Amino acid sequence: MLAGFDWSVIPASLPFLGQGLLYSLQLTVVAMTGGVIFGTLLALARLSGGPVLAGAAAVYVNTMRSIPLLMVILWFFLIIPLLTGKPMGAERSAMITFTAFEAAYYSEIMRAGIQSVSRGQVNAGYALGMTYAQTMMHIVLPQAVRNMLPVLLTQTIVLFQDTSLVYAIGAKDLLKAAEITGRNYNRPVEMYLFVAVIYFAICFSLSLLVRRLNRKIAIVR
Amino acid sequence: MNYHWNWGIYFQTVQAGEETYLDWLISGLGWTLAVALTAWLIALAMGAVMGTLRTLPGRAPLAIGNAWVEVFRNVPLLVQLFLWFFVVPELLPRDLALWVKQDMPAKEFVTAAICLGLFTSARIAEQVRAGIQSLPRGQRMAALALGFTLPQAYRYVILPMAFRIIIPPLTSEFMNIFKNSSVAFAIGVLELTFQARQMQEDSEQGIETYLAVTVLYFLCAFLANRGMAFIERRTRVPGFIAAGK
Amino acid sequence: MAMIEIRHVFKWYDKFQVLADCSTQVEKGEVVVVCGPSGSGKSTLIKCVNALEPFQQGEIVVDGVSVGASATNLPKLRARVGMVFQHFELFPHMSIVDNLTIGQVKVLGRPRELAREKGLNLLARVGLSAQAEKFPGQLSGGQQQRVAIARALSMDPICMLFDEPTSALDPEMINEVLDVMVELAAEGMTMMVVTHEMGFARKVANRVIFMDGGRIVEDDAKDTFFGNPRSERAQQFLAKILHH
Repeated sequence: MLAGFDWSVIPASLPFLGQGLLYSLQLTVVAMTGGVIFGTLLALARLSGGPVLAGAAAVYVNTMRSIPLLMVILWFFLIIPLLTGKPMGAERSAMITFTAFEAAYYSEIMRAGIQSVSRGQVNAGYALGMTYAQTMMHIVLPQAVRNMLPVLLTQTIVLFQDTSLVYAIGAKDLLKAAEITGRNYNRPVEMYLFVAVIYFAICFSLSLLVRRLNRKIAIVR
Repeated sequence: MNYHWNWGIYFQTVQAGEETYLDWLISGLGWTLAVALTAWLIALAMGAVMGTLRTLPGRAPLAIGNAWVEVFRNVPLLVQLFLWFFVVPELLPRDLALWVKQDMPAKEFVTAAICLGLFTSARIAEQVRAGIQSLPRGQRMAALALGFTLPQAYRYVILPMAFRIIIPPLTSEFMNIFKNSSVAFAIGVLELTFQARQMQEDSEQGIETYLAVTVLYFLCAFLANRGMAFIERRTRVPGFIAAGK
Repeated sequence: MAMIEIRHVFKWYDKFQVLADCSTQVEKGEVVVVCGPSGSGKSTLIKCVNALEPFQQGEIVVDGVSVGASATNLPKLRARVGMVFQHFELFPHMSIVDNLTIGQVKVLGRPRELAREKGLNLLARVGLSAQAEKFPGQLSGGQQQRVAIARALSMDPICMLFDEPTSALDPEMINEVLDVMVELAAEGMTMMVVTHEMGFARKVANRVIFMDGGRIVEDDAKDTFFGNPRSERAQQFLAKILHH
């Protein structure tokens, strides 16, 4: 069965695939960093903001979580040029989209993380005379991140896989690069198989890492 | 913002044809429901099997179950879809491959449903395993003590309880499957996202188009959620509080 | 003027009343023990003193500052009032010495070196110098609670609140914590202590407050309370707790 395959296309395409992979990784890192920061702010707004702020944050998070990511990608690609008045490349548009979208998912994780820190810890911070911001910064968030680290990383693996959906607006990520080379060399089958292996290798090794981390945390507790 | 609103667009006919855009949207909704629900049945069946395998004694079943979960969880859904669509037919015996490529009815739909179903089955397998392991060990022993075979113990005692326990995570998985079905556009299934892109290009009323499609996705998620809540109520065991999120 | 003044404090959770017309005071240098059955509101009352729990009616004044007033800078007030919790509440992600310095550095603005030195001195005082670089999870409950007392002392508090400091401890660890508290009382620290340790109360308390159903039922000098409690409920409570 595999006899009909021509694997020589792979070495030839490596530089181009490398560029695509680089963009996929950049998109992941940007969306993760921005997503965790905005997500934490959203979580704090929901937990300790006034009713208006908490409500707005809840609506944002729940809306993002009930729409397919593909639709969110299309929405942002349509809306950003309309709002700014100038066109924006698919690559940059995707960075904004993924940051905004992932913030909703990370915020749910951070919310659970913050709630996993007992009320007594907050009280202890206050009892030392710390302000809300100090208590969050020094006492609650470090513990929340630590408790949630495996989940945050798992979400990041999901995020990395989801970056392949920028296909819908034609941004040149790893998958798109594979499609283009597959078409150029007329070897789509080999290329799709090869990127699947790359994605699997990256995601599987990351998930093994998460599992080891989980065991370590289980011991410390 | 320089945008010409046209809320009547839904009832206008498309550029080349007799249908209205509303017809496109409704047929898109139909395909989305068809893909998601078919995939859901596949996912439940395979998820139950693979999740059970991972709790059986012996190394082989565990290894098979683990491999299943890892493979489907660690490759992006869209890539999996392309594998099923472009690569798998090449691996089939010649005659079968020819039939798949040329004569299989609703090829895109079948491919998307299988792909999404197996993708989701890995996630359900994980939940089923967790659900089974959360049951007291005495349950299995009690069933075996009654003279059940191991398959009977699973069929009549363990799985019915495990599935009740995991209804909350299953609910979000059921809602996910509607969202995830959107990737099917990439191989040409005429579902909602496909129609969204088509109508946006055809009508040039992007906002109205996406708004309608988004609302329809909301509707799917809402109905999925209510449906599972109904099942949860109907299957509730008196005096047992499901441990879920 | 009393160090802590509690005047006619009422508190509700929704419609459920948890504190009703509580009034008492703690003079400078005084040790006041608060006891009562669980659910009597004693922990809630002591948490009201540094505003960890809000109250709806009445007034609490600590060293001349009204706790409930909206203009009060609560962090500033709390920094001057030490508190020890039932479940220790050491910060699990920081080493012991960091637990003792974080408040000094971040709240009082002390230089890190100075804070560390003070922290180590206090640690020596509670007999735990060897544990400075360990983490809370590596210490026994009794040791953790002693660190927690040292952490409160690191802020140079004008008075100390203890919320059931020994009730989460194994019996053999209770005394090591009580010893630190007795020593503190002997040095003249103003203390308000929620506890069931009547031995401790007999030894160091000036007054004993007995609460039941959200009310202060008895507020007596120590000898009166143990010798001749006025209310029947206090008598029953004492009979139960002393027979153990």
